[in-house]
Amino acid sequence: MRTIETDVVIVGTGFGAAAPALRLSEAGFKVVMIEKGPRIEAPRDFRQTQDPKYLLRYLKQLSGERISLTYAEGLGGGSGFYEMVSLRAPSLAFEQRDAQGKRLWPAALNRGALDPYYAIAERMLNVEQIAIEEVPKTGLVFARMMKNLGYTCDRARYAVRGCVGSGFCVTGCIYGAKQSLHMNYLPKAEGVGARVITDLEATTIRTLCDVLRTPRSETLSNVPYRYEVLCRPTGKQQDWHRLKARLVILAGGTVGTARLLLRSKEYLRRLSHEVGRNIAFNGGVKVAGLLPKTFPAGDMFTGRSHPGMISYEFLESNGITISAAKPLPLQAVAAARLKLDGDEQSPGHWGGPNVDLMKLYRKRVMVLVAFGLTRAGAELTLSANAEPRLHLEFNDELRSYYVRVKVLLNSILQRNGCRLINTEFHRQGVPYKEVHFSTAHQVGSCRMADSRMMGAADAAGEVFGYPGLYVTDGAAIPTSLAVNTSLTILANAERIAAIVLRRYPLAKQAADLAASS
Amino acid sequence: MFGLLRIEQENSQYDAKANGCEEPSRDCLPRRAALKRIGAAVAGLAFGCTPLRIVLRAYPDRFDEEAELVDRVLRAFVKTVIPGAPGDAPDLVRVYYDGFYRFARYRPYFASDLCQRALSRYSVVRFDDLSTDQRACVIEDGLAADSTTQRLYNGAIFLAQLAFYAGIFDDSKGCRLIDFDGRFRGVPLADQTYPNQEFYLARGLTADGNYG
Repeated sequence: MRTIETDVVIVGTGFGAAAPALRLSEAGFKVVMIEKGPRIEAPRDFRQTQDPKYLLRYLKQLSGERISLTYAEGLGGGSGFYEMVSLRAPSLAFEQRDAQGKRLWPAALNRGALDPYYAIAERMLNVEQIAIEEVPKTGLVFARMMKNLGYTCDRARYAVRGCVGSGFCVTGCIYGAKQSLHMNYLPKAEGVGARVITDLEATTIRTLCDVLRTPRSETLSNVPYRYEVLCRPTGKQQDWHRLKARLVILAGGTVGTARLLLRSKEYLRRLSHEVGRNIAFNGGVKVAGLLPKTFPAGDMFTGRSHPGMISYEFLESNGITISAAKPLPLQAVAAARLKLDGDEQSPGHWGGPNVDLMKLYRKRVMVLVAFGLTRAGAELTLSANAEPRLHLEFNDELRSYYVRVKVLLNSILQRNGCRLINTEFHRQGVPYKEVHFSTAHQVGSCRMADSRMMGAADAAGEVFGYPGLYVTDGAAIPTSLAVNTSLTILANAERIAAIVLRRYPLAKQAADLAASS
Repeated sequence: MFGLLRIEQENSQYDAKANGCEEPSRDCLPRRAALKRIGAAVAGLAFGCTPLRIVLRAYPDRFDEEAELVDRVLRAFVKTVIPGAPGDAPDLVRVYYDGFYRFARYRPYFASDLCQRALSRYSVVRFDDLSTDQRACVIEDGLAADSTTQRLYNGAIFLAQLAFYAGIFDDSKGCRLIDFDGRFRGVPLADQTYPNQEFYLARGLTADGNYG
């Protein structure tokens, strides 16, 4: 067992972890980041491949009743494998309310409060709206479909510098064009002293003193070591580690952070009962159609993975955004059985008819995806052997949402002359019997809230009842956003890092502050 | 994201547990001895026959011993699932031999089941001796059988499509049948889009892509 004493332990290396790591290290804090997955040297370690052996080294899935969550384990978290879509959450996402009419985000938090931190995150990731002349064919065809119906469609924003349009964003960018955290936050943080230990999984957190008697705002050196994070080796690590810290920042993702806190409940008895609950998932609904001959061709395989366009047309009316999608063959086959709607030929999802459809896949198939402001409804619990279990409460509201959105998406395809493709979603080749949501946009398992009755952490991301223990990742985000979640997670992490810096000045900064005042 | 066929093992263990049986050890028990030892339990299983046949390798020995036979059967299976797939491609059935996928454990049983169904339906000993249409009917039989056999057949179809269309064993080849190049071959940006973008682009609601 190795013991390390440090000012700050950050659990995770993804979007929620990178900003506090950089900001606190820049300020002079001793920071140790721990990552369950392996170290990734970007872009060297990325590959343009569909080999599941490569992808499953980093991408993990937690499946439960009616919902599956995909997340990454590896240095940089999901940033290595996301589609680099970087959009600010619309204002109305922050105004969502629960069934009793109570606002879900903490009172002080709204789009305006987050905008300055969005700006910082955008600068760090070089986020820009895609140039007109770079919109991939599939994105243009989608835009034309919306235009035909009198709907609006906007060019989306991406974290990229010098995109070549290889179409392999989701397997990691081998050109170093995608601005994953390996290209900015993480090397900068390490450059100013942050230590990163990979292949190490945090298993439990314990208190080292009566933390309620320790200061929530004080010169850092006056804060005792309050928490101990016990870590077990994975992959290349050999030793268990015990990390003692004055501050602990949890950023292991919506699944990882909830799992860690739930495993620590025995030692953190004041934790909110809301830990693990309230997982929101952006209500992704997917449909597909075959373009009519009158339409120009799309292209599933070239151009950036996210095809450039997003429609906010139905955000106010239906709480959804709509995009086209470009699943690579592996993603398409692994997700759904494809069969032309109304095709009575047998066999359906294999054999000649399926091959005929797959031959059209690259240029004539259009996949539409809606992200919605769906209520939180999934819950993560632990089994008797402390493994995570997932459950989604599929109520009438969610069923109605699913049906309504699917009808809308299908109507967009049909009114453009598309023939629908029946997408029968499955797991391991066996179709789901009921509606099943799959997402990588899960948030909220330890959400920020105005009280511990509603969430696990306060508006500053500090866990209720545990001074100096923060949640800065997707777990802290209280609601679905209807857009990709990465930029909001990063901006919120920047915001919380700024709060921590104000609360815990280093001795020299505290002296400067005292002198100036 | 990617199912990896853990189904048969889990299912068979579940079935045994559900019926109060001791979990059989797949690797240690000689198949004949195992059959005797748990014969009584087998008789009591409501729907455990097929899983146990897999677990205990209760199928003709030649499917364990004659690699060429199994290979021919599996190739015929993939060519039926994906008509147009090149039958002599070296990687065509590789996914069934890859220990990364649990299906590899059930490869001999699966081949034997295809042949057994060929015999039952057409009185032909080998699945690969059937016509394409006949083979399709045999596969349909498997897909309509008991739930575990359904899972096995669905899994085999899934793996065939996954490996073939995505070209998982050779990044440089992709899949010619669906015009997938595999790794990126340097298509210029100008060829990734259309020149007359204004024809396509709809009116936007935002100034910069972010909704207010």
